Amino acid sequence: MEKVFEIYIRTTPERLWEAITDGETRSKYQFGARIESDWKPGSRYEMSNPSGTLLGEGENLEVDPPRRLVQTMLALWGDDVKSEGTSRITWEIEPVGDSCRLLVTHDHLADGANPQLYGGWPMILSGLKTWIETGEVLTTPGSLMYG
Amino acid sequence: MGDDDRVFKALADPTRRLLLDRLFERDGRTLTELESEVAMTRFGVMKHLRLLEDAGLVVTRRSGREKLHFLNPVPIRLLHDRWIDKYTEPHVSALVDLKTELEEMA
Repeated sequence: MEKVFEIYIRTTPERLWEAITDGETRSKYQFGARIESDWKPGSRYEMSNPSGTLLGEGENLEVDPPRRLVQTMLALWGDDVKSEGTSRITWEIEPVGDSCRLLVTHDHLADGANPQLYGGWPMILSGLKTWIETGEVLTTPGSLMYG
Repeated sequence: MGDDDRVFKALADPTRRLLLDRLFERDGRTLTELESEVAMTRFGVMKHLRLLEDAGLVVTRRSGREKLHFLNPVPIRLLHDRWIDKYTEPHVSALVDLKTELEEMA
């Protein structure tokens, strides 16, 4: 199964790439979860909450700043998602006028995969847009649940 | 027309909402598949899909000779965060709960 998420954000590809790969910035819009990696092709990354509990992990398959990032993901945030196995996330950044089109493709999902795996993307991308365009953190209920 | 206007306009039509529901059930469909779901000409469905694509609610991708349509729920989330969340504070949702409860009893 494959899911596609598209958003336009008024920023440069470089700034968008930074917001996606910087652990501290990521926690501002991804449910409070941090991400850590050295962002080399073939390297690992880890997502965790501030107390250090591992929420997810995976491999960076392709790292091509500031345009393309392909990662595997193993969700670890709950017993109901741990059994879902590894899926794949592709981030594509394309400049359009004074903005960027960000396309997140989440595939290699099992048919009938738990919607928790991909259901958070609209909230994450909305929070990312708000953070980049206004410098504010989205306070929608649940948006910082791991913070 | 602003982004929000395009999304509201796209959602303000029962056929387009039906197409979104069909994509929600199963994503990545061709025009031919979607056409069989609604009582409308191919041209009519294409027109509605074009409007949904312009609003960012549908994203298309080529796969060989086929064009696949995917639901993009992000613009609905943006509307929610901008327009709906602030009107659905706890006191408002309490009234919605009351309405649901009373209607279920009736």
